[in-house]
Amino acid sequence: MKRILFERTGGLTGRKVSLDLDLDQLPPDQARTLSLLLEQADFFNLPADLVPPSARDAFIYTLTLEAEMQVHTIRFGDTTAPNALRPLLEDLSQRARARRV
Amino acid sequence: MVQQPSIYCILPPHLLREIAQRGTPLQRERALQTIQAAEQVRARRRLARELAGLMAAVPGGGKQRFVYDAREGTTLPGALIRKEGDPPVSDAAVNEAYDGSGVTYDLFYEAYGRNSLDNNGLDLKSTVHYEKGYDNAFWDGQQMVYGDGDEDLPASERLFNRFTIALDIIGHELTHGVTQFEANLAYWDQAGALNESFSDVYGSLVKQYQRRQTAQQADWIIGEGLLTANVKGVGLRSMKQPGSAYDDPILGKDPQPGHMKDYVTTVEDNGGVHINSGIPNRAFYVTAMEIGGFAWEKTGLIWYKTLTNKLTDRSTFQEAANLTFEAAGELFGKNSLEQNAVKTGWAEVGITIGSQAPTGCLTSLLAYLGLTTQARGQSK
Ligand SMILES: [Zn+2]
Repeated sequence: MKRILFERTGGLTGRKVSLDLDLDQLPPDQARTLSLLLEQADFFNLPADLVPPSARDAFIYTLTLEAEMQVHTIRFGDTTAPNALRPLLEDLSQRARARRV
Repeated sequence: MVQQPSIYCILPPHLLREIAQRGTPLQRERALQTIQAAEQVRARRRLARELAGLMAAVPGGGKQRFVYDAREGTTLPGALIRKEGDPPVSDAAVNEAYDGSGVTYDLFYEAYGRNSLDNNGLDLKSTVHYEKGYDNAFWDGQQMVYGDGDEDLPASERLFNRFTIALDIIGHELTHGVTQFEANLAYWDQAGALNESFSDVYGSLVKQYQRRQTAQQADWIIGEGLLTANVKGVGLRSMKQPGSAYDDPILGKDPQPGHMKDYVTTVEDNGGVHINSGIPNRAFYVTAMEIGGFAWEKTGLIWYKTLTNKLTDRSTFQEAANLTFEAAGELFGKNSLEQNAVKTGWAEVGITIGSQAPTGCLTSLLAYLGLTTQARGQSK
């Protein structure tokens, strides 16, 4: 079982968008893509707090991964997102914006 | 350990002088240090202003714009597309960022004598086409960054257009730079909401200045044109009626309060900095309507003096109210129409101007001088 919790707050509008994805419930190819992106980002080894101090109106992202025996949450901003995480961030942002939770 | 209070602290000079004369040796020493530090800050600010004047006298020594293209990536600043003096290019976002930062520069220069964000001719750098599907704009501490909205979604699902489309958004982002170089307001809770409000205030004034609109003629909407036709709304925020900018099945309802009784307590958005800014926004709007005429001339000047000379990084709404009132008195006279307008403006949002010096600042100063209530009680 793998679950991704994604939340985006702040930004010029201050509006929150969020996403709660159970990978087992997704079409297999999408679940595979997301798993691969998580692996590429080496998610469980990313530092927990990467919020930039001087950015104004930037988004603040909170991303949690629950998998088998492990849970990890990281927080980061637009300018501090690890490069390896960017493809995953783009995917999740688009899902969250398209869904408009 | 007692920290020295911020040197930008607004000190009641008579109190300091009293302490410097009558306090214990340690209190006297610290009071003198504080007086000297305040003097140095004032001198530095004076010097910066004089230098700015000299810079402006040199042709081209003031406004220096650079617009870059991130090409849907996130590397900043990206490829330089247009610099100061270059003719327009075929990319609308580039030209909007160039023109918008130009009008913002002009307002601050012509209305308040300010030479760029740092009052020292700082380059105005903007990056457009940041990331794919980036429905936002931000100030990263050194430059402006703009996304193209929901361009990656099907047209029927798009909520946001490109963020350079609204001149007041450009003014908003640049004002974050001014605030950073001046009061340096923190970015959480009330100080953060004030930080946001100053950006909305000058963002709106840039638009009014460009259109030559009086307070009565202006729409006081922030981000007009930013929402697509799919959204039921006129913009991101309304300074006139906070909470009324949009009400949409997908986007939700504009959450801004316009009165202290509706203040929103939340941990999201750094304590609701983009939400509670509605309260000081409306105080500015009411003040500007009371004073009348072009809002950037008098009301904008009162707020500018407060931002550049009075507020500190942890200021609260109450302090902002007291200090704008003080600034209005210094600029236009005690009990003047303008000063009374400031009082009315804050009263409309549930904040009564106090006659006391700002408590947060005073408390930290008294603690530094060893004059806390407790200490005074013991010394008797
Ligand atoms: Zn802002």
